Amino acid sequence: MLFNSFQFIIFFSIVTSVYFLLPYQKRWILLLLSSCYFYMSFVPVYILILGFTIGVDYFTGIAIENAKNGQRKWFLLLSLVANIGVLSVFKYHNFINQNFTGILNCFHVSNPIPYLSILLPIGLSFHTFQAMSYTIEVYRGNQKAEKHFGIFALYVLFYPQLVAGPIERPQNLLHQFREKFQFDLDRVGEGLKMMLWGFVKKIVIADRLAIYVNTTYNHTGQHSGASLLLATIFFSFQIYCDFSAYSDIAIGTAKVMGFKLMVNFKRPYFAQTMAEFWKRWHISLSTWFKDYLYIPLGGNRLSATRWYMNLMVVFLLSGLWHGANWTYIIWGALNGAYLVIEILTKKIHFPFLSSQLPQKLVRVFKILLVFVLSSFAWIFFRANTVSDAFVVIKKIASFKGPLFYENPSMLIYSFASIFLLLLVEMKQEFYIGSFSFMHHKSWIVRNLTYAVLIITILLMGVFDGGQFIYFQF
Amino acid sequence: MKTNQPSIQNKQSSQLKGFVLKTLLLIVIVFLLDFTIGTTLQYFYFKQESGFLYRTTYAIEKTKAPVLIFGSSRASRHYNPNIFSNQLHLSSYNVGHDGNFILYQYAVLSAVLKRYHPKLIVLDITRGDFAIRQNDYERLSALLPYYKGHSEVRPIVQLKSPYEKIKNLSFIYPYNSLLFSIAVGNAEFNKQKMKDIDGYVPIEKIYTGSMATADSLPNYPMDSIKISTYQSFIKDCLSNNIKLVIICSPYLFKATNTDNTINLAKAIALKNHIPFHDFSTDTSFVNKNQLFADSIHLNNGGATIFSNKVIDKILPF
Repeated sequence: MLFNSFQFIIFFSIVTSVYFLLPYQKRWILLLLSSCYFYMSFVPVYILILGFTIGVDYFTGIAIENAKNGQRKWFLLLSLVANIGVLSVFKYHNFINQNFTGILNCFHVSNPIPYLSILLPIGLSFHTFQAMSYTIEVYRGNQKAEKHFGIFALYVLFYPQLVAGPIERPQNLLHQFREKFQFDLDRVGEGLKMMLWGFVKKIVIADRLAIYVNTTYNHTGQHSGASLLLATIFFSFQIYCDFSAYSDIAIGTAKVMGFKLMVNFKRPYFAQTMAEFWKRWHISLSTWFKDYLYIPLGGNRLSATRWYMNLMVVFLLSGLWHGANWTYIIWGALNGAYLVIEILTKKIHFPFLSSQLPQKLVRVFKILLVFVLSSFAWIFFRANTVSDAFVVIKKIASFKGPLFYENPSMLIYSFASIFLLLLVEMKQEFYIGSFSFMHHKSWIVRNLTYAVLIITILLMGVFDGGQFIYFQF
Repeated sequence: MKTNQPSIQNKQSSQLKGFVLKTLLLIVIVFLLDFTIGTTLQYFYFKQESGFLYRTTYAIEKTKAPVLIFGSSRASRHYNPNIFSNQLHLSSYNVGHDGNFILYQYAVLSAVLKRYHPKLIVLDITRGDFAIRQNDYERLSALLPYYKGHSEVRPIVQLKSPYEKIKNLSFIYPYNSLLFSIAVGNAEFNKQKMKDIDGYVPIEKIYTGSMATADSLPNYPMDSIKISTYQSFIKDCLSNNIKLVIICSPYLFKATNTDNTINLAKAIALKNHIPFHDFSTDTSFVNKNQLFADSIHLNNGGATIFSNKVIDKILPF
């Protein structure tokens, strides 16, 4: 079930209404059943994979808590192997096998390992990482093992963030399933506002930009450098709006019911360094890698070389997390390299930049530089193959040929949607606390704002847009 | 604790009441805006007198031509109705529509049959017409402005999604993403720019791209809804005594095999005793880049030759 579907609006309305009618002790049952239904509306049989992960992590969590010191790490290992094993089979088997076949072919040897013809379960990487964070936190002693199987299952299955995050930590989410959330008009209103803005970002902006991006990126050979450059810029906004929209709708949905999920995006394209960009982009994944990989590897407390290596390892794995394709690995490597270069060049002083130019201009320059660097990396993320990505780069560099557009409205709607996004985000970034339509004291202004956003969806939204990009991960 | 319980309940019920009231108010505002903007868009949509959108309105609501040509962008670029009118001595109109295939064509046929019965219909079939493509259903949004006023169009539009009935409660939804096109369609300069000849859109361009060698066409599963719609198209023509001719118009490049759709369309046509002419391998067109604007569309010169060839096949009529 997609968030941007009628089915979801009906589902959400029914579940939320029944949720508030039920006594709070029974609410977990409703949420668990509705989450199962939500997940099963994609491919029903894949609930069994989740069932396996939940079963293993539930029992290993208790076993870790009860075990003596020496045995605890074995139970943790069992949980990690089970989780990563599921991920490997469903997501990485064919990729590894394909590369293995390539290597064997060099020696004229055939590969006896068969390929699996299976669909990747939706959001597998998300709920696997969330499940893993539970056993790791129990092992570290930061979280008590959950004895209630239903509550634990709900922690993994909670429908708002089940298929595309935010990837929650047990300390933040588990206890909330026992809390008695009342119907609070302000909180419900805030949640609905987040959802509405999420719908605008997805339906009006991301899916609109996707039309141009898909047309050009799926036929890179037929399009000019100018068209591919525009498509790359559009994709930077598309991926941001697509993914952050999912987070907004997820956080908003949970908020309506009383749950507080972690913030996942903080206007990343206003970052002035790549390090800052990663503190603003997909925060729940960045912090997951930081907490469970980067710091255990030694973080920045080791020699400079090891520090850079740690950064590269984290970003290479982050790339691989996104998809079993070399395009994602290169994307990860590029982002890792950006950070290393940023650290290396941090001490270089540019007197011209610091003294002669107005600081606002320097800030704009830095923001644009981060945007250019991240957009360059997005080329690999979006391209269907590595060779396609190089075609895009080569064509952009040559910048020959006419700009493709089916009709002027294709570009007009795209630019209008980006303008709307920038307007809202610039206000949020630079003018905090100033005039706000959504939070205006006059109810007329507030209601008119909501109505205008709904009308914008009806007028400019792409109703046949596809699923969220991050579902595939 | 006991004294707090009723006050919490009171607070809850007043908050709930407030929420319901605010939601109702929002619904009223949205309805008023939706109605006002939607009605305005509807007025200007149907006020157009030229252009791409107008051609759909003309096909569905106005044409009375005894000869109609149905198909996709290939139909609107390949069949010159003037040549048909001159040689058949019957006025002709090309209802071909970019990016729309058999589902759209059947909806237009149903609307036409509600008003009158043409004498001759030429249906242009394209390679891959019957392939399973979600996109083809999404493109049925071209029919949304006619949903409310044309009951015969509704069943086809409802194939888009199970929620079309609900979506069409909105007055704006049928004109979704059309704001700019409607504005341009009503502009004076557009009447000069978007000239068509009775639905025929000539392209004055010669293909200069690379010449491909013969390639094999892919095998693909076919959409049963599209196949049954094609059968309904034939059935409706037969039951209304309309002479139907089904054609696959030329392609620039030759293929080593015949397309799945063309094979099946031909078999169904012949089973119903409908003439089927396949020009996709006609040597007068294959590899003749001077007759094409791109690999799948004839230019004006190519369309003139082709239209004459089609009439030769149809005559005597």
